[in-house]
Amino acid sequence: MDFDFSPLVDSWRFLAAGLGLTLLLSVTAVLTSFIVGLAVGLGRLYGPAWLRVPLVFYIDSMRAIPVFVVLVWIYFSVPILTGHTFQPFWAALTGITIHVAAYVAEIVRAGIGSIRKGQFQAGLALGMSRPQIVRDILLPQAIVRMLPALGSIVSVTIKDTAIAAVIAVPELMRQAETLAGETYRPIEIFTTVMLVYFLIIFPVTRAIDRFYGRVAHLGRS
Amino acid sequence: MKLEWSIVWQSRWLLLDGALVTVLLTLLTMAIAVPGGILLALMRGSRFRPVALAATGFVELFRNLPLLLLVYWAFYVMPVLTGLSLSPFTTGLTALCLNVSAYNSETFRSGINSIRKGQTEAGLALGMSRGEVFRQIILPQSWRRVLPVLASTWVSLFKDTSLVSVIAVGELAHTAMQIRSQSFRVLEMLTAMAAIYWAMGYPQAKLVDWIHRKYGVRE
Repeated sequence: MDFDFSPLVDSWRFLAAGLGLTLLLSVTAVLTSFIVGLAVGLGRLYGPAWLRVPLVFYIDSMRAIPVFVVLVWIYFSVPILTGHTFQPFWAALTGITIHVAAYVAEIVRAGIGSIRKGQFQAGLALGMSRPQIVRDILLPQAIVRMLPALGSIVSVTIKDTAIAAVIAVPELMRQAETLAGETYRPIEIFTTVMLVYFLIIFPVTRAIDRFYGRVAHLGRS
Repeated sequence: MKLEWSIVWQSRWLLLDGALVTVLLTLLTMAIAVPGGILLALMRGSRFRPVALAATGFVELFRNLPLLLLVYWAFYVMPVLTGLSLSPFTTGLTALCLNVSAYNSETFRSGINSIRKGQTEAGLALGMSRGEVFRQIILPQSWRRVLPVLASTWVSLFKDTSLVSVIAVGELAHTAMQIRSQSFRVLEMLTAMAAIYWAMGYPQAKLVDWIHRKYGVRE
């Protein structure tokens, strides 16, 4: 068995471009998922009754359908339904956000639910409005408690961006596939890319755990 | 836009086959990854450092990789490493097992660690061997803490099996994508695929909630 790493040396820019897109997609998807997930989670907890049924249905459906299916459906079906083409990057961002936001919403619900009821009542007794209580009392504590779960969501999101390769987003996974096909050196290329993914995801999860260790006391009440 | 939903009914037997392969993959992976996870968890707790280190490395590596990449890697690298030409099904199964064993090992490790040390000491004081203590005292108690997490992993695994479609394992996603490209009924087949996954996954997700409510340990 002989190894030849020259395709990697020759085409490192090709892979680096993919890495850049993977990072961009990860960061934007994490941001949009957190925003949408927070909105859905709060809507489920405090929204009007008629809104809760569709939100719960949405969350449970996303727990049942693979993200691969969501991405492929959005990428191929939305153009048929609307008549507009969907750029792969935006299709991937939309699909990952729709999927991951449902999990974030569950974490938000569990985080806020873990704060004792007395805190809410104390806020009411002090004459605060419900939105004020949620914003100033419940969320700051809940967010600290949610950190470990949100940390694993970040790593899940980065891993999910690799699935965007199936709808031809030229991120790291897709670039690796293309390069492996052109150079007939799949072993060297996929093994190297594995290492790259590991070096991105592992430190991120570790850093979030460390950070939580420092601030965990703020979430105790 | 003209839709022809009849294509879904026409391909019902193919889709059913695909769904069965999906279920089979999920079952086989779990059947291998549960003992695999217990073994890895025990290895991590080993007093012999190289064993503990190897297990930790295995778990951290496979937890922190995109499954899709793992599937491709297994597809290209395993035949070279083993010298065997493996079927796509076996390759997909291996990739899923590597991934899920790593997750399960963390589940079992935290389940085992949650049992107080006094229990092990009591067992040892009664003259039981370490193996007996683990099998008869620790493992039965940790099941209850482990079961809800395993149930969640089960649903994730059920969904993740869709990723082995990229190496042409004939499960549900691959079958539906094939029919789509042969019949050009894109919207119909993709919607049917999503609907079938939903119909299979939704009850499982609800069952997981129930298991969490019934068996979840609250401290």
